Amino acid sequence: MIGWYEANLVLIEATFLNFLLALSIQVPLRLGVFSFAGVGSYGLGAYTAAILTLRYDVPAFVAIGAAVLLAAVVGYLFSLLVARLNGLYLAMATIAFVLIIAVLATNGGELTGGANGLYGALSDLTTGGVVAVCVVVAVLLALTERGPLRRRIEAVREDPELSLSMGIGVVPMRQMAFAVSGALGACAGAMNALLRTTVSPEEINFHLIVLALTMVIIGGSRSWIGAFIGSVIFTWLPSMLASAGRWQDVVYGVIIILAAIFMPTGLLGLVQTLYQKLRGRRSAAVTAEAPADDTAEERALLQALGGESRGGVQ
Amino acid sequence: MLEILINAVTLGSLYLLFALGMSVAWGTIGILNFAHGSTFMFSAMVAYFVVQTVTLPMWAMVLLGAAVGTVLSVLTQALVFNLILRRNPDLLKAEMQIVVGGIGTASVLLAIAQHYTKSVPFGFSASTFKVATYQLGPVHISNVQLVILVAALGLAGLAAWWLKSARAGLALRAIGVNPEVASLMGVDRSRMALGTMAAAGALAGIAGVLLTYYLGSIAAETGDSFLISAFAAIILGGIGSVAGVVTGSMILALAETLVVTQLSGTWASAVAFGLIFVVLLFLPRGIFGRKEVRRT
Repeated sequence: MIGWYEANLVLIEATFLNFLLALSIQVPLRLGVFSFAGVGSYGLGAYTAAILTLRYDVPAFVAIGAAVLLAAVVGYLFSLLVARLNGLYLAMATIAFVLIIAVLATNGGELTGGANGLYGALSDLTTGGVVAVCVVVAVLLALTERGPLRRRIEAVREDPELSLSMGIGVVPMRQMAFAVSGALGACAGAMNALLRTTVSPEEINFHLIVLALTMVIIGGSRSWIGAFIGSVIFTWLPSMLASAGRWQDVVYGVIIILAAIFMPTGLLGLVQTLYQKLRGRRSAAVTAEAPADDTAEERALLQALGGESRGGVQ
Repeated sequence: MLEILINAVTLGSLYLLFALGMSVAWGTIGILNFAHGSTFMFSAMVAYFVVQTVTLPMWAMVLLGAAVGTVLSVLTQALVFNLILRRNPDLLKAEMQIVVGGIGTASVLLAIAQHYTKSVPFGFSASTFKVATYQLGPVHISNVQLVILVAALGLAGLAAWWLKSARAGLALRAIGVNPEVASLMGVDRSRMALGTMAAAGALAGIAGVLLTYYLGSIAAETGDSFLISAFAAIILGGIGSVAGVVTGSMILALAETLVVTQLSGTWASAVAFGLIFVVLLFLPRGIFGRKEVRRT
């Protein structure tokens, strides 16, 4: 067990870092905001933490904290900038934001180390610290997935106009999502930079965006558990597929396609649907009038409303 | 200066050939095909492997590229996007599934291409076509550039005329305005979608082969960078508008060429992203885009 842990330490750490990265895409997605800005914050956080550690030799928690704070503020300001956009337009603007951060890092001169990036950012961050941060984040997000807050988030996602008329602050909630997304992305980037002691502009590319998106979509976009499932799968899949040899990347792509077609709610959604079917059958056998699952009913209602109003807007 | 302009217009024409099909598909049938860049690269690669065994002239290579692009695009539509749309009645949700499905398709095509080309750039040196340069007044222009200009402007003109005047073009635009009403009026959505994707694929294939002739060689990864430039061109001009794609492609190519020649190469990639950003902020629907009602 210890031997396995030591042999796979890099992958274990990568799983948790990818988890935070996936969450930075998922948090806005739960509010119906299609934003990849979290990946840009990943780069921002990685550079902030690396520069602070290299120049001022600050402890890890200060470097990460500063990175998180900065990215949250940048995320909030960015949300003001793109307030008028939605859907795929917003997605494109955020992709541009991510790639501009990479270009800025490449052209940053001495501060960012240019195309070579920064080396030797040694710090006292441990794997335990990474896991602790992830647990705290997961608990906090789990709190947003229950009670009135969950219903508010779902209402904003399924029907912003209806939510607005019900007195839910759609715009502040979206701005909040950008700030949280920035903080999460920066946290992942900062911890990655400190664990690997290096950061380079090549890391922040289109493929990182693709990885983050596929993790969320295939794991499940409605809950942090989905992001965790996705991060476990996509961190470990490449090494599992090594047995497929030369066709590894082809198999990887085919898995993504199949997931996109057959699992619209992700693996988590698939499991939940199966569970609900099983439970529904059992409770139907006990009483003729099965106790209605209020969440399912609520969601169906919201979806019906969402479908109607979207047709009207077009 | 004129040389720079000619080079910029050639690059713009290549962007135009590439982005045209993508823009029309996105603006009408609502499919943003992330596998478009891979389709483009893959067509050029197939043409490369054919020309290694059979010596072909340029026109045959272009036709071959168009054929491969059509087949790939139709397969992507039939096997990926169509299945996603059939299972997802929710448009917004399907939009994301389509993006992810396209990304998956793109990585499959890229992996196959990297495997067969061993990630080494490939070119058409085996083709019978030879590059020649003409002196037209004060400017030098090569025969490849001429072919690219004529093909791009001709095909864009054809697409614009077809969308505007042909009955099927009207049906396609109707889908873009309101898919449900269009279906009620007797427009066969899935057939129109397949046809649009076929045309988009053909254009991507032509662009791929012509780019390879123009640059001498391309690599398996060229498709990805073209995809991002195409997004910029499409957003700049306004989604679904042919005049928009033409304008967007030319502005983008001109801006990129100017930055490369006047500033430095490392900033060139920032031009596309910077343009996307600025345009989305000030003209959210692009230069020729349709207005859309927003309530939140």
